[in-house]
Amino acid sequence: MTREELAAYATEKFAGRLTPLATGKYDPLFLVNDAGDLLAVARALKEDPKLQLEYLCNAGAIDTGKIDPPDKRFEIHYSVASLQLSLRLDLKVVLPAGKPEVESLQPVWPAADWFEREFWELFGIHVRNHNHLGQFLLPDDWNQGFPMRKDWDAPDFVRMPEK
Amino acid sequence: MAELRTEEFVVNMGPHHPSTHGVCRLMLTMDGEIVTKIEPVIGYLHRSIEKICENRTYAQCVPLMDRVEYVTAMSCGYMFAGAVEKLGGIEVPLRAQYLRTIMLELNRIASHLLFYGVTAMDIGAYTPFLYGLRERELIIDLFEETCGQRLTYNYIRIGGVSQDIRPDFVPKCREALNVISAKMSDYTGLLNENPIWIHRTKGVGVLPADLAKAYGVSGPNLRASGVNYDIRRNDPYLLYDKFDWNVAVRPNGDCFDRYMLRLDEIMQSIRIVTQALDGLPDGEIMAKGVTVNYKAPAGEVYHRVENSRGELGVYIQSDGGKKPVRVKIRGGSYNSLMVLPHFATNRMIADLVAIFATLDVIMPEVDR
Amino acid sequence: MGVIKKLPVYAEKIPGGSIVLTSLEALLHQGQAKSLWYLLFGTACCAIELMCTGASHYDFDRLGMIFRPTPRQSDLIIAAGTITKKMAPRLRRLYDQMAEPRYVIAMGGCTIKGGPFYYDCYAVEKGIDHIIPVDIYIPGCPPRPESLLEGCIHLQEKIKKQRLTDWQEK
Repeated sequence: MTREELAAYATEKFAGRLTPLATGKYDPLFLVNDAGDLLAVARALKEDPKLQLEYLCNAGAIDTGKIDPPDKRFEIHYSVASLQLSLRLDLKVVLPAGKPEVESLQPVWPAADWFEREFWELFGIHVRNHNHLGQFLLPDDWNQGFPMRKDWDAPDFVRMPEK
Repeated sequence: MAELRTEEFVVNMGPHHPSTHGVCRLMLTMDGEIVTKIEPVIGYLHRSIEKICENRTYAQCVPLMDRVEYVTAMSCGYMFAGAVEKLGGIEVPLRAQYLRTIMLELNRIASHLLFYGVTAMDIGAYTPFLYGLRERELIIDLFEETCGQRLTYNYIRIGGVSQDIRPDFVPKCREALNVISAKMSDYTGLLNENPIWIHRTKGVGVLPADLAKAYGVSGPNLRASGVNYDIRRNDPYLLYDKFDWNVAVRPNGDCFDRYMLRLDEIMQSIRIVTQALDGLPDGEIMAKGVTVNYKAPAGEVYHRVENSRGELGVYIQSDGGKKPVRVKIRGGSYNSLMVLPHFATNRMIADLVAIFATLDVIMPEVDR
Repeated sequence: MGVIKKLPVYAEKIPGGSIVLTSLEALLHQGQAKSLWYLLFGTACCAIELMCTGASHYDFDRLGMIFRPTPRQSDLIIAAGTITKKMAPRLRRLYDQMAEPRYVIAMGGCTIKGGPFYYDCYAVEKGIDHIIPVDIYIPGCPPRPESLLEGCIHLQEKIKKQRLTDWQEK
């Protein structure tokens, strides 16, 4: 399947659950309409015989810094692939600013384990049903908040001066 | 007579340990000599490259990307430049693509030679270290003549490459490749028939293919378990679909296969570079219209490269401004270390050292 | 080093006793400077250049320097690579485990003042000289093996300038 065929097939099969986004360049990018539906969509993508997307390439959280409207501040971007069929697809979930939470995708893609630990530690996005959230990359005695957020600051954090 | 009582104890391996894989800490729960549980603790090299990139223009991010995986810095530079080119729809001239392919493959050969030396040193053989690094110096000299640096090149820029090769690059490169392919028999001759090496690596640390796929393992570790997947062939970038080369795959997934697979990959890379040198065209080395203040248009992209450690990918989200909104880097060693506790337990600690060495983990990819 | 500490006091009192001191110093310098055993402490990119310097092309062994994996058997730490805030207490601990006389070379820009990670970085220790006392700074990102060899030769000269009276308690 080419990229266009893949985009058309996924749009048609998951109509109502996934919305194709135009901001994705090169590979098809879909927005999961309901963040609570994420685990079911992931399972369906993995078990579909024409897609077989069983390989998680990357999962990253984004803080867009948009505080107005506040319900679109955090996003999580998943990149999945199929090894046998050589396909690539991207998924996105949008989370609100107040208490962002997402379901762990470890039952579907066990590779999501360490990616999700980073969501909590650096962004403060809680991951439900993950058994190992906590200290991961930062020092043991870190108590200065979630550093990858756009509004984070600390006394010894030096910004590069604008030229 | 008193009853013999045994209990498990926790041994801390790292963060400073003699194998030069960077700083990785493994907390091992041991029952005598057998390791029952491994818990990797990472973050000792967390330099927050992703946070730094949010306050840099796109051109300023490029030299920083070399530090993500410094042994194959050309791939890292290309990973970022390729992603920005996908975002902006930049057309890279053909000569620049040939030069990029040549540099990436030479870097792969240098990285695998370093792997050969360091892995043998971890398992206890000190001589291959000197052999591997001696040939690596030939390639590093080529890089130094081209871009002035030995390790972090900053050569591949957005839109092309930064400088053209010298007139004597092509004959010197061919000479270096001849020397390396002649020495391959030395490398295999030192280790492959050695009974100690065979006992320490054959059948040790088998990584099953479905476990590897489930945990996102990529690159030589995946191909040594029998999965025939190579991003250069399945999802081609640059000019890999124009050359005639094979994907090296090995069936067993033990330490010996992971080690031999990388030596096979050196031979395939030599084939690719020879064909690229034969067909190198004249032309521009930088795309028109790309300046140092380049602003990528709004959008998001995930671009991935087959690195010598696995899949090296970057996700960039841009809102049309001077600086990216988010840069997320994914390294192949991250997943190799993630899968380690799931297949390397219930064996002796010396086997764990051999497994860790053949997984070829580099810590800055893990910690970023 | 108890005898060595008291020796200058007694040697000064005997006429011509300084010859004993200088000869002893020359012997100690020959021993210390010509066989510095360094701890393999490489965290990041500079570690690869450290390994290349130890390999056959640019040899460390000709200066008498061999790598040791443990700090108890080494008298030089070449701190090669970025030191993060998480790693800094471990570096201090390694330095404390070394026996005197011990020396430190800060290799690469990251150990001098943070290097490329000075701005916008929340997790990097900007320079190691507020953790351990540094003798020689080698700039570069990463420094060439020849720079590292020159740094080691500078350290040998620095050792040769030390006097036995430096070890006396004030």
